[in-house]
Amino acid sequence: MDIELASFPYLSSILMSCVLGLLVILFVPEERRVLIKWVSLVFSGVAMLLSVYLFFAYDKTQGGLQFVEKVLWVKSLGIQYFNGADGFNLPLILLTGIVHFTAVLTMWELEKRVKEFFALSFVLVAGVFGFFMSLDLFFLFVWFDVSLFPMFPLIAIWGTTRKEYGAMKLFLYLLAGSAMVLPAIIYLFVKSGLNTLDLVALMQPGTFTPFQQKFAFIFLYLGFGILAGVWPFHTWSPVGHVAAPTSVSMIHAGVLMKVGAFGVLRVAIFLCPEGWRYWSELMALLAAIGIVYGALVALSQTDLKYVIGYSSVSHMGIVGLGLSTLSVEGLNGAVFQMFAHGIMTALLFSSVGYIYDKTHTKMIPELGGMSKVMPVASGYFIVGALAGMGVPVLAPFWAEVMVFISSLKVYPVRGVLAISALLVSALFMLRLVQRTFYGERNERFAHLPDVSFGLGIPRMILVAVLILFGLFPWLMLDLIQTSAIPLVESLF
Amino acid sequence: MVSSLRHDMLLFTTLLTAWLPFLSFVLIIIFTRRHPRLSSSLSITAVSVSMLGAVVLLMAGGDMAFPIQYTAKWLISGDIFIPFGFLLDPTSLLMLTLVAVISFLVQIYSLGYMAGDPGLSRYYAFQSLFAWAMMSLSLSSSMLQLYVFWELVGLSSYLLIGFWYEKFSATQAGKKAFVMTRLGDMAFFLGLLVVLQNFGNLNIPEMNSPELATRISPALMALSALLVFGGIVGKSAQFPLLTWLPDAMEGPTPVSALLHSATMVAAGVFLFARLFPFFSYSAGAMTIFLAIGTISMLLASTMAMVDRDIKRVWAYSTISQLGFMIMGLAAGSFFAGTFHLTTHAAFKALLFLCSGVWIHQYKTNDMFQVGRLGGRGLKVPVACIIVAAAALAGLPPLSGFFSKEAVMASLAAMDNPVWLIAGLVGAFLTSYYAFRLVFIILFPKKIETVHHEEQVGGQHSLAHYWVMAWPLIILAGITLILGFFQSSLEDFLVGHSVSEGHRGGQHGWLLFVTMGLSFCGVGLAWLEFGRRGSPQVGFLERIPRLKGLFAERWYLDHVYGRFVHDVIDGFFSKLSTRNDQQIIDGGIDGLSRFTLGSGRVLSFLQSGLLRHNLFFVFAVIAVVALYFLLV
Repeated sequence: MDIELASFPYLSSILMSCVLGLLVILFVPEERRVLIKWVSLVFSGVAMLLSVYLFFAYDKTQGGLQFVEKVLWVKSLGIQYFNGADGFNLPLILLTGIVHFTAVLTMWELEKRVKEFFALSFVLVAGVFGFFMSLDLFFLFVWFDVSLFPMFPLIAIWGTTRKEYGAMKLFLYLLAGSAMVLPAIIYLFVKSGLNTLDLVALMQPGTFTPFQQKFAFIFLYLGFGILAGVWPFHTWSPVGHVAAPTSVSMIHAGVLMKVGAFGVLRVAIFLCPEGWRYWSELMALLAAIGIVYGALVALSQTDLKYVIGYSSVSHMGIVGLGLSTLSVEGLNGAVFQMFAHGIMTALLFSSVGYIYDKTHTKMIPELGGMSKVMPVASGYFIVGALAGMGVPVLAPFWAEVMVFISSLKVYPVRGVLAISALLVSALFMLRLVQRTFYGERNERFAHLPDVSFGLGIPRMILVAVLILFGLFPWLMLDLIQTSAIPLVESLF
Repeated sequence: MVSSLRHDMLLFTTLLTAWLPFLSFVLIIIFTRRHPRLSSSLSITAVSVSMLGAVVLLMAGGDMAFPIQYTAKWLISGDIFIPFGFLLDPTSLLMLTLVAVISFLVQIYSLGYMAGDPGLSRYYAFQSLFAWAMMSLSLSSSMLQLYVFWELVGLSSYLLIGFWYEKFSATQAGKKAFVMTRLGDMAFFLGLLVVLQNFGNLNIPEMNSPELATRISPALMALSALLVFGGIVGKSAQFPLLTWLPDAMEGPTPVSALLHSATMVAAGVFLFARLFPFFSYSAGAMTIFLAIGTISMLLASTMAMVDRDIKRVWAYSTISQLGFMIMGLAAGSFFAGTFHLTTHAAFKALLFLCSGVWIHQYKTNDMFQVGRLGGRGLKVPVACIIVAAAALAGLPPLSGFFSKEAVMASLAAMDNPVWLIAGLVGAFLTSYYAFRLVFIILFPKKIETVHHEEQVGGQHSLAHYWVMAWPLIILAGITLILGFFQSSLEDFLVGHSVSEGHRGGQHGWLLFVTMGLSFCGVGLAWLEFGRRGSPQVGFLERIPRLKGLFAERWYLDHVYGRFVHDVIDGFFSKLSTRNDQQIIDGGIDGLSRFTLGSGRVLSFLQSGLLRHNLFFVFAVIAVVALYFLLV
């Protein structure tokens, strides 16, 4: 059977809506900026709605891969167009849908080279979607690179602080990651002897010897880990966040870093479970260092975006720590944290973006007293900051609890180290909020308008999502478990 | 059938009680932000329904078989099962009622105190959030759920302390409160994880059951008890994490009243009472708790004796009284601690609210200033503060007297007399500082003439005065009568009144000693501040060194400031940042420079000159030839 399709190709439709969006934009004249924005909004909206539908339509009692689409493409190499949804990638597909839609809304006031900007955004997001849903190693790698290359022009053209430097640095780092992943994939393809790149076929136990798994795992882990901001390969990420324009920061920190973390899960852990077990101590160590280190560096930053950038390093460390525990709770927490962190940073960058657009500065000492000037815009940021501190009723709290519970069981010392970062993250977030938003009314910016209802919509959506999953964490965890339990059971 | 209907009604009431304030918070934030009047009425309506619900539950509680527990699935992840539910038993119902009543009174009072504030909607939203978090905390059925609301209580107090965010000191105080309590919370969280890992359950009744002691080794028990107690130390501002509470009075006065009586700091002591059996399984840990409570009580009393700021005196007094409650609990008397928590909630709220009237009227926190400006002219707060201060000092027949006696009796039952002596010293100091303040306000040495219309203000301000006065009168009434309900409360909480008999018999003398010491304190205060021609200089002020120590809060703040500034910022953060810029990033940049540089060097080879090319070809051939020759 070469072709196997679900009753309706939902997953491909998500991809198609990105591709169609791109094509339509290409045919709209450059001057019709509003039309371009509406086209982006509609197509990203369709993708978001589809991802929401899939998230809720997935049959949790049945589990496994659903909405499968499988078409043989190159027989001699065993390459298939193979998409499927499970408990691991559905949260991330939903995340991508939400973040892209809100990113388009956030950039509603963009004036500079609108057409290229939104077109490139669609390329980027299509790559991310494809990466999350694909179950064929060849396509995984192709989508991975498709999502990387638009970052360079997006930052270099529309960026701000040291944009060429940031874009170049980011690009080289990600390319280095990609260069480590490719040989590992080829190595596994050759060693399996199955002449297929089908992930499901390759992950059958016994396909690879323990040595092969250990060898390939470290390449895959480091290659994808660079993109996930694993310490000490993280320095591209704050620089890149700072240089990137608002919506690209949102997608970059919100989604692209998850591509790395998801790659570790989907490729490295799925194919090389023995390697996972072997290298888990190292993963936990790097993650724990990253959590504390990121928070400590964030404490001394004076640029709003740098603070968020380093806090992302810290929060992505929690994902790494969860992945390293080899347990169901850890995996649950890690995937939940990918989702929650994505929404949270999108909210933070989106709010900073508004402030930067109006005041033309993101230096904390120059701001201050912004709550009086723009109370609503400040309120959105403060909610994001609270989420970053792990306040309950917001989604990241649950993810962190899960990861801490599981990590303390396996790695007590590293777990305590990671928990101690909670104090530092409260300190830097509150300090940031105090210095930026509190204090006397800022006369220099007193004339600036508060965020309008329309421009507030993306932030509203993000806040609502944070609260929804903060109040009802089982919505997410029940789904992730359907994949996490079989994975861990197959291992032990 | 009937009983199931009754249970449904009970569940419904509980849900309504706990979640209405949340609803009002959401509505205010989303819809009525621009309509302060609507916001305040929404919030007050919600909290009054909650109060009614709480009272109904408490009344119905008399003939119920406790504990009643409702749970629903909230989260399952692997082996971890976290239910969401309500646990109704005497402890939680008492706390629920306490919170609801105090919140209600404070919100009414705020109508007068906060009138005209531009952030009124925000204020009431946060008040609702606070009420919701605290009521849900007291009803929590599992420790993780309690932890969730515990953090939310911390969040709401952060928001309310820093409510006037233009003021640097207010935002600083809010931040300090959050970070310091977070430090304790980390210990708390770790303690919970230790229990979870070794016992596999965080359900409160099960954590309190004797089964726990059989499943966990004593060392682990003690460790987890100590860690969980860390949370109490942070939340209830006990030694050594006590300095955030005096700063927290930067918030509006009604917020301080709420914070210091029934919510936030009371959450810590409530947790102790909630997990009382769990804590009492480890005797060693209990002794440490007793020591911490004693140290906090004495330290804070000394600080209260020299301060001039009204609110700050009451803040120190809160720390000291919380320490006293913890002493009672740690001495093994569940009832004494809980009872003192109850009476303290009423009279401490009263103390703050009374002071708020003066602060609102004269716009100053300085007690000498208030006295000089004619503070005694306001009759209701004067009468009420005397009642409240007497209750704080433990004078009969006020509620504080009864609860203080109960704690003293439990201390006297200890083998080591040190604790009782400390308690007695504390009683003396407490009555001294309480009446020092009262006398300073009542008998100022020189009265500045203040225009009468200014004093009570116009019609508008008079209305505010009475809005603020009614809650005072109600609270004073509660303070007056609560003590006489001791035995019925004991019956309700413990199920029987055991201590009734031996309190009178064994330690009959104690009653008189405590009372005597309290009156001595009042007398000393009278000699120094009250009587005609008194110097109005405390005995401590004649010892500058001691006064300096007390006024500087035993230099605890300096230590913390140093720690954050020098250790976290100055060392760890600086080190990491420098490492990031110079070693990690610098290394990478160095690598790229090396690549560029080596490319540049190699590019010299491609100079395009024929002789260079020929030389290069020759060199390569020579090397290859050499290789073949040698191998």
